[in-house]
Amino acid sequence: MAGAPELDGTLLAVLANRFEAIVREMTNTLFRTGRSAVLNMARDFSCSIVSADDQLLAAAEGLQVHVLGAGLQTASMRELHPDLARGDAFLHNDPYLGNTHTADFTLLVPVFHAGEHVFTACAKAHQADCGNAAPSTYMPYAADLYEEGGLNFPCVQIQRDYRDIDDIVRMCRRRIRVADMWYGDYLAMVGAGRIGERRIGETIERYGAATIKAFVERWLDYSEQRAQAALRELPTCELRGSSPHDPMPGHPDGIPVQVGLSIDGEEGRVVVDLTDNVDCLDNGLNLSRCSAMAGSVIGIFNCLDPDLPHNAGSFRRIEVRIRQGSAIGGLEFPHSASVATTNLSNRLINSVQAAVAAVGDGHGLAEGAGAMGVGYSVFSGNDRRNGSPYVNQMVIGNNGGPASATADGWVTYAMPDCAKTVYIDSVEVLEQRYPLRIRSLRLLPDSGGAGRHRGGPAGEMVYGPVADPLQAFYFADFAHNPPQGVRGGAPGGAARAAKIEADGSAVPRPAIGDVELVPGEWVLGVESGGGGYGDPLERDPELVLDDLLEGWISAAAARDVYGVEWVGTVEDDSLEVVGEATKTRRERLREGLEKK
Amino acid sequence: MSLAADSTGRRFKVTCDVGGTFTDVVVTDDAGATAIGKSLTTPGGLVVGLTAAIEAAAADLDLDAGTVLAGCDLFVYATTQATNAVLVGNTARTALLCTEGFPDVLVRREGGSLRPYDFSASPPPPYVPRRLTFELPERIGAAGEVVVPLDEEAATAIVRGLARRGVEAVAVSLLWSIVNPAHELRVGELIARELPGVPFTLSHQLNPIVREYRRTSCAAIDASLKPIMQAHLREVATGLRELGFAGELLAANSLGGVIPMADLEARPVYAVRSGPSLAPVAGRAYGEAVLGSADVIVCDTGGTSFDVSLVRTGEVVTTRETWLGEPFAGHLTGLSSVDARSVGAGGGSIAWIDSGGLLRVGPQSAGADPGPACYGNGGSEATVTDAAVVLGYLDPDRFLGGRMDLDAEAAERAVGAIAAQTGSDVPATAAAILTIVNEHMVAAIKEITINQGVDPRDSALVAGGGAAGLGIAAIARELGCRSVLLPRTAGALSAFGAQHADIVTEVGRSLLTDSGDFDFAAVNAILAELDADLAATAGTLRDGGLEIAPVQHFVEARYAHQVWELGLPLAGDRFDDEADLERLVADFHAAHERIFAVTDPGQRVEAVHWKGRLIARPRKPGLAGPTPPPPAPPRRRRAHFGDGAVEVEVHEGGSLERGARLAGPLLITEPTTTIVVPPEATLHVTDQGDYLLEVA
Repeated sequence: MAGAPELDGTLLAVLANRFEAIVREMTNTLFRTGRSAVLNMARDFSCSIVSADDQLLAAAEGLQVHVLGAGLQTASMRELHPDLARGDAFLHNDPYLGNTHTADFTLLVPVFHAGEHVFTACAKAHQADCGNAAPSTYMPYAADLYEEGGLNFPCVQIQRDYRDIDDIVRMCRRRIRVADMWYGDYLAMVGAGRIGERRIGETIERYGAATIKAFVERWLDYSEQRAQAALRELPTCELRGSSPHDPMPGHPDGIPVQVGLSIDGEEGRVVVDLTDNVDCLDNGLNLSRCSAMAGSVIGIFNCLDPDLPHNAGSFRRIEVRIRQGSAIGGLEFPHSASVATTNLSNRLINSVQAAVAAVGDGHGLAEGAGAMGVGYSVFSGNDRRNGSPYVNQMVIGNNGGPASATADGWVTYAMPDCAKTVYIDSVEVLEQRYPLRIRSLRLLPDSGGAGRHRGGPAGEMVYGPVADPLQAFYFADFAHNPPQGVRGGAPGGAARAAKIEADGSAVPRPAIGDVELVPGEWVLGVESGGGGYGDPLERDPELVLDDLLEGWISAAAARDVYGVEWVGTVEDDSLEVVGEATKTRRERLREGLEKK
Repeated sequence: MSLAADSTGRRFKVTCDVGGTFTDVVVTDDAGATAIGKSLTTPGGLVVGLTAAIEAAAADLDLDAGTVLAGCDLFVYATTQATNAVLVGNTARTALLCTEGFPDVLVRREGGSLRPYDFSASPPPPYVPRRLTFELPERIGAAGEVVVPLDEEAATAIVRGLARRGVEAVAVSLLWSIVNPAHELRVGELIARELPGVPFTLSHQLNPIVREYRRTSCAAIDASLKPIMQAHLREVATGLRELGFAGELLAANSLGGVIPMADLEARPVYAVRSGPSLAPVAGRAYGEAVLGSADVIVCDTGGTSFDVSLVRTGEVVTTRETWLGEPFAGHLTGLSSVDARSVGAGGGSIAWIDSGGLLRVGPQSAGADPGPACYGNGGSEATVTDAAVVLGYLDPDRFLGGRMDLDAEAAERAVGAIAAQTGSDVPATAAAILTIVNEHMVAAIKEITINQGVDPRDSALVAGGGAAGLGIAAIARELGCRSVLLPRTAGALSAFGAQHADIVTEVGRSLLTDSGDFDFAAVNAILAELDADLAATAGTLRDGGLEIAPVQHFVEARYAHQVWELGLPLAGDRFDDEADLERLVADFHAAHERIFAVTDPGQRVEAVHWKGRLIARPRKPGLAGPTPPPPAPPRRRRAHFGDGAVEVEVHEGGSLERGARLAGPLLITEPTTTIVVPPEATLHVTDQGDYLLEVA
């Protein structure tokens, strides 16, 4: 075509949304065609489109920790494979080369136009199994990569000319448990990447390569300007944040995560300093560079205008400083980053967003709950209905979201690293596909941290096998150090786990651990609740009574923590605030004359 | 069914669209005549307004409503009642009975959000509050086995307790009721016994799908609509019968099709989102025939709401997952629907001044009662319609073809009250009201186009609804579109769409079988059952003189281990041999490759659900619209454009010559709508007599 057409504001918006729409179609492809429940119900995967020079362009509603570092992986693809060609695809799960953790397989599809590499379509999916030493995709106790035992693909070519390279597929099929399921999931990732490739091609055909190139530059610049403007609304200040992970073997006092924030309100820029942290640990908790970068950026984005584009343009205003050799992002081979998307990631995000609350009322967030507890366990066993083994992660637990200056915590928050993005499993579909039964799944009263705005509630879940033994692994942080409130808000409820024996007795178990169950035995897990924001005595009394009617809080909490006095009963919906008595009660609670 | 006829032997098809402000009616006959009637909706007794609209349309054919209804063999009823009831929370006080241990299904939905970085708003409440959710001691397992028997004593006590809580409707959704419905059925009996007259919905009977959230949500929405919708639909049916109607009574569903009214009464959830589903059916017809475009943006501006939907490559855009409200945060209906955006912006939208002193318009509407100030029914607040009167766009003496007088002074007073607060003059304030309401409409169009990566400039624009002509030129210009088509039926676009809708009846059966061990006998038995089910319906429709297409069969299938199915049509009516099976497998691989870009050739294909679809195609009118009136010389009026009032020509709809081109400013008055052609826009009367507004 003759020359690029004018790139006006409308076309800029159309194209930005077109790329987001392509990512959504990629996402839908993977969701509808995936074979394991972690993909086709929980949607524990993400798709994104990265420019030829490794800038994240579009990620739709991808899991934050998955997508925000996608550019690191395409950079390694270009470095290791300078002879990229149309029809190629690469398998990448290497945490030392820009991936999150071993269990996240990433398929990278370079997209070509007129012989030139123009974009990369990326699909990253948490695998049901990745060939680890134990049937779990999380190995918190692994001393190093060798003990993790999973297959490592440091950006390895798996398709040439649109056909599988069978050597690689065969390696996976040999080593990964339930190979047919894995191959189906792999195909779903290929489908997502190829759909992305088709649609990007159509878009370039429609608008011309020159227009698209100009668009990428303009859109990322625009995104940077938006982030700059948002950061300029903050005062220039230095902040510190910390959120310690629960004790682990060898770390009886827990593992601290330390964050320094330097906000430059004039320039509209922020530095997230992660250098003051412990050296790489001899366990699976270390954060890969990708996870640490993503965690820092998520914490900042959570505190800014949510309408900002979240791409490489807006990242330019956030500098993340990492110390090589540190457990928080300075991962060195062969230290393990097996659980790098969750445990310390969640602590990092919480440290950043809670630190920002110190700027003043209206800023920052409380800590969000992030227990990878029983409701997120990796479970395995044999299914006698078809004589086959199974292994999968369930995503059905409930962590409460953090309260903010204007809102209560989200209920289906999931956890900080993938807040509000993963879906939750259906009880029926889980029971249909695996030989297990869920006995109950309910949200608990008084589990959200009290505050002017209340943290989201925790869920309690009980499940067990129906026919043959079942093994479950879970990794719940937030049992000792529950999510903290900010600006006077209270912490959320703590995570816990228990085994219910055949005689009905409940025996407490460590929240990070595993359990083997035979039919008649059950595992019980409670995730954690989100932290509150602001003084509970400032909560609107009408909201307190609504919480009481809806069962989010108990009558005792309404009176003793929120200081509300009322008449009427819950049963007939007749509660009414008694204004004077509430005022008096709140004053007495403030002065410490009555117990809180 | 008897074939009724008037004295001349003509047979009629009547379609209507009962909106929040206006009731639109389109009457067509088998000789090709089309007539449009419009009347104010009468919320107290809908049949009054409906009859008035039929009367108005009949008058154009020199008949009366009774004659038309007596000669009517097909009546299609569409209403926004169900959607509005859900959106404003005006549904029944509904309780949910669920399996013990699982009270939070509606609270948690299926997780996810469109706003992962947004913590500014509290989580959305469940469709049924937790205080009205009760756990029944019972449990069925995945294979249909009874794990915990239903505790009838406890269940009875819970059901009795509902009466004390003032519950007006009950949804029952128990785990695995789709495999073994015994407990749901028994609870249904208990409700019927203990709470006589209280309507209830059993989840397995309504929408027997696996996945507890969407089944429960569908059941809860359905139950909550039963009291209001059943009363409403019965009132309409009775009213029409009393007026002499004896034909087939149909109702619009959310997919732009029509179904027997009795089906809608039994399952009112099908009425949700049915309001905006028919305008694109008309828009598609005009897009193809008049504009030669397969990509159309269809706007429908009524008194209360503005609805926009899309036609792409000749198909109305639909969604499999219908959310009331924002995806993930609203409520899933569990059913497919036309993908439409609705905003509270229309002729009745009320202008107001916010706490910061800014002029705002809507989303509140004056509705039909009291209506805009100029209706003289006691309304005093300024609306978009009042602003149009002030600007001289609407002729107070000729509104609705002269059947309704407008009070221009009341409009002046109402807009003047707003002007006093903003400190600007009355015409400028009226113009500002129109500008702001146009902005809301532009935003809604952008949401369904630009936000999905569709450039509105690549599509044709078709506009309808009584208030469409007031601002559509400005809207088209703002979107960068060159032109917009206002058909002569624009005043009742949705009702006209109903004239073009097919009657679709679908039946289904579940049977899991896979290509490795295909159960030919069972599959063929099910296909035969589907045919038998549809034969009865086909018979009734054929007796009514309708043309019936052969039954189409579909299967929903997937690869082993997948959990979401792909729907594909079957090549034949039965599976006779291996070759038929191989054809199915090959078709599945091809569909999977087309939609998802990959195939898994060695993998077994699981067939899950089998469907039969019967389509009856009623006689459809041409697109010509009502018979034009005899040519008349234009009148002249003063109307405001930009800085001042100018005298413009006012042409009677249909009196302009086909092919004519006239430069704005000017006004066109059709009996049911008025088209404002601003300066710098050109009106082109198409060869069919429709209006193409060229704005660029």
